[in-house]
Amino acid sequence: MPEQPIKDKTAIVGIGWTAFSRKSGVTTLTLAAEASLKAIADAGLQVQDIDGVVSFYHRQPEGQMVRELVRALGLKKCNFEFYSDGGGGWNCGAVLSGAMLVHSGICKNVLVFKARNRYSEGRAARAERANDVKGDAQFTTPFGIHHAAASFGPIATAHMARYGTTTLDFAHLAVTERSHAALNQKAMMRKPITIEDHQNSRWIIYPFRLLDCCQESDGGVALVITSAERARDLKHAPVYIMSGMGGQGQTAGLWETNGANSAPLLYEGAGITPRDVSIAEIYDPFTFMCMTHIEDFGLVKKGEIGGWVTAGHNRLDGDLPVNTHGGLMSEAHIHGLNHVIEAVQQLRPEGVVDDLCDGPHTYDRSKCRQVRNPEVALVCGECGESAMLLRRA
Amino acid sequence: MEAYTKPLPIPDIDSQPFWDRCKAHELAAQCCHDCGKFRWPPQAFCPHCYSWKFDWTKLEETGTVCSFVVVHYVSIPAFQDDVPYVVAHITLDGTDNRVTMISNVIECPWQEVKVGMPVRVVFEDVTPEVTLPKFRPAGRME
Repeated sequence: MPEQPIKDKTAIVGIGWTAFSRKSGVTTLTLAAEASLKAIADAGLQVQDIDGVVSFYHRQPEGQMVRELVRALGLKKCNFEFYSDGGGGWNCGAVLSGAMLVHSGICKNVLVFKARNRYSEGRAARAERANDVKGDAQFTTPFGIHHAAASFGPIATAHMARYGTTTLDFAHLAVTERSHAALNQKAMMRKPITIEDHQNSRWIIYPFRLLDCCQESDGGVALVITSAERARDLKHAPVYIMSGMGGQGQTAGLWETNGANSAPLLYEGAGITPRDVSIAEIYDPFTFMCMTHIEDFGLVKKGEIGGWVTAGHNRLDGDLPVNTHGGLMSEAHIHGLNHVIEAVQQLRPEGVVDDLCDGPHTYDRSKCRQVRNPEVALVCGECGESAMLLRRA
Repeated sequence: MEAYTKPLPIPDIDSQPFWDRCKAHELAAQCCHDCGKFRWPPQAFCPHCYSWKFDWTKLEETGTVCSFVVVHYVSIPAFQDDVPYVVAHITLDGTDNRVTMISNVIECPWQEVKVGMPVRVVFEDVTPEVTLPKFRPAGRME
């Protein structure tokens, strides 16, 4: 496979976010607008420079829809709006859609956002899943599958049976992600946890305990994509989009996700190998899902992830720091678009701006979450249904 | 008998024969009339050879648990009295691994459910109209 023609032709030039909480107290439109205006200002652009807007949702439109934001921002001219299904699988798909709009020439500067009151409004709506009994759901809902842990748990159980992965392995990932979140001012869960805390936490849906599950959140994030050419004149050093993919295929078995299909597209598209990846911001609705994604993207040999996370290779000073912000597990669940924000922060010359460092980054892990000189970041969505490689300028 | 309050499937034109046969206590799946391969879930054409011709074929009543979860926390109150309950992916025998259904493994403590465990279908007539195919360990009560 040749390199993708879009390689390095577009860049993420602005990022913004709101506070993450369990009760925003504002509408999703307000969350979307706050994050978007911050991202546009961060890019050094004016609101009217935005001529494309992209977001995504899960199954039914949830969170803030695109058209209302386009209207609220008062955009005089929007050349393309795109609001697509794909859920947690689509964080990178949304970013790549924006990059394609720029690369095609349809848009100059595309805003990609996700804003939701998933805790304050979403939890109350959970029982409505009982009405989801058509299509594929006619074969799941009546049998008691109403929670993501029940949908994704079988992937973990199958991996455990095939490779001997244990719930104790899961604990190491949870503890490491929390330690990263402790160094993240915007993370919702910053109190350190231990292996024992994990193992003593109650079962939610076996093989997942409470501390295997991500949280639900209110909040918004946004980013701005423009061409590599225009990016050079803007406020921050660009973070280039090297390659990407979005879609799903069939896998060898339950123990493997679509990441295994995505990985060759990604690496060959960028002209690099998994060894070139410096950091990975990996979709982590449950501890194990993050673990299988790491394997399926070729970052760790299939079946060996348990020992790898137990050895701490995913820590900030490890071989491959993973979820340096704390992930969905400990930072917040903004549908994984927050993972893209973290990758951009890590790849900018000034590094992350919301750890506990007062001045320049010290790499003192009681304060600093900046990884030392990362060059390439891999970001992926649920089951590797979209993914991309980013690089620093 | 208490009213059944859990969600019931809403069949569509592709799946109606499956649910009708469950009601008659028969487990069935579509088998391609041209290439002879099974498929699941029901759909109008073959995902292997794209033929639109198919037969509803009676399946063996046995299968294997290829993975599972145990639900301890419910979002829908009607399931509260059932926890912990097992939801498994069950690959039906004789389908060349092409029919894997999601259902409950019942009549078995959750700690004893294992990947690779053989199971047999049990038809639960949950309402006069709807029968759900569930599974119990094969070999028990036989």
